Amino acid sequence: MNKPGAGPIAERRFREIVLPLLDDAYTLAKWLTQSATDAEDVVQDAALRALAALATVAVDRPRPWFLAIVRNAAMTWMARNRPKGLAYAGDMADLNAIDVRGGSDDPPDPEQALIAREDAESLRRAIAGLPSPFLETLVMRDVNGLSYRDIAEATETPIGTVMSRLARARSAVAKALKANP
Amino acid sequence: MTDPAPDDRILRLNAALDGELDPMASLEFERDMRADPALAAEYRRLAALRDAIRRSAPREAAPPALARRIAALVEPAPARRPFWTGQRTLALAASIAAVAFAAGVGLMALRAPGGSDPVAERLVADFARAEIAGQPFDVASSDRHTVKPWLADRTTVSANIVDLAPEGFPLAGGRVAIVDRIPAPTLVYRHNEHLVAVTELPPGANEARGGGAIETIDGYHVARWSDPALAYVAVSDMDEKTLGDFVEAFKHQGSQAAEPSRR
Repeated sequence: MNKPGAGPIAERRFREIVLPLLDDAYTLAKWLTQSATDAEDVVQDAALRALAALATVAVDRPRPWFLAIVRNAAMTWMARNRPKGLAYAGDMADLNAIDVRGGSDDPPDPEQALIAREDAESLRRAIAGLPSPFLETLVMRDVNGLSYRDIAEATETPIGTVMSRLARARSAVAKALKANP
Repeated sequence: MTDPAPDDRILRLNAALDGELDPMASLEFERDMRADPALAAEYRRLAALRDAIRRSAPREAAPPALARRIAALVEPAPARRPFWTGQRTLALAASIAAVAFAAGVGLMALRAPGGSDPVAERLVADFARAEIAGQPFDVASSDRHTVKPWLADRTTVSANIVDLAPEGFPLAGGRVAIVDRIPAPTLVYRHNEHLVAVTELPPGANEARGGGAIETIDGYHVARWSDPALAYVAVSDMDEKTLGDFVEAFKHQGSQAAEPSRR
């Protein structure tokens, strides 16, 4: 994975594809690892993997491609360094119990209430508290701005699952905000 | 790990919010919202949540030291134009000379001396890649009411989408280009079998204040112009004259339909 190995084509692709996506990559990695330092390690690792892959792979959809590498690097990193934190399957039941039907018992004009009570910190806490499959889906959609198709590709998940995770994630964040304004 | 699916109503609300409904489904959803205040209220609540998430959890810039370390993994982009160097020089020079001769126009604007323009080059590379991949846009629609919200969801400005079908350039779709690390709306119009991609540059992109002169980069025609609010770069595989007509039409319609394009 050192310089001479990559070759000029891989290097050119790397400059065109990977370098413009570093902000997206770093943001995603920071949400997944919940740490700025770890995010740097993950992005660096992902960049090395991407460079190695670009020697043989032509990429026509750079964002889902590179963010998939970042995500997998983050998963590997978490498994190695923080096995306890990788509650990948464990917390699913909690979210499955969430009622996603918006809550018809809400007071009138609840969207105003939500905005009024908006507190960036508690919102970020609510997002960070989501189990990883929901966290990554929400962050890829609302922070990175990926389409459903891109998210499905980046997370290797059927699009229906992406949709349902996103709905649940948003619902869970809304619930958490109401519980802890 | 199975996710029991949330009901379709919720999934459709989310898909509508995310601009993921196809045109017919969008129409139907809008009709339903007008008829059903509860649905409209749910939609507003979800949109407010989404907006709050975006405000509280913005995309962050990678730390400069990290960006430098990663850029250092590869050789820096050649300072001189790769265009003029390497084995391709002779062939390219020959073809440029031929084009210049055939067109009978001064191609002095081809490369303004010292006018390195990474933005235009990046957009040309995008165009070439999209063309080769057979996927010139990420949202395919001739309906600007579909393309506009799709772009608005992914960029910080909402694109000024002008209708040029009467001039012979129907809208084909939209995609997002990255300019100075900022997502920029790009509209793709069609003319016969050719395409033109117009990118609206983010405010402050330090390139591309141009009067509409057309230049050639790597075989593609590139036009740059600006109006009082915005600067544009168009990349196309059309011939120079057709691209010139397109730019004129775009400027004309754009000034007619000028609407505040802040979201």
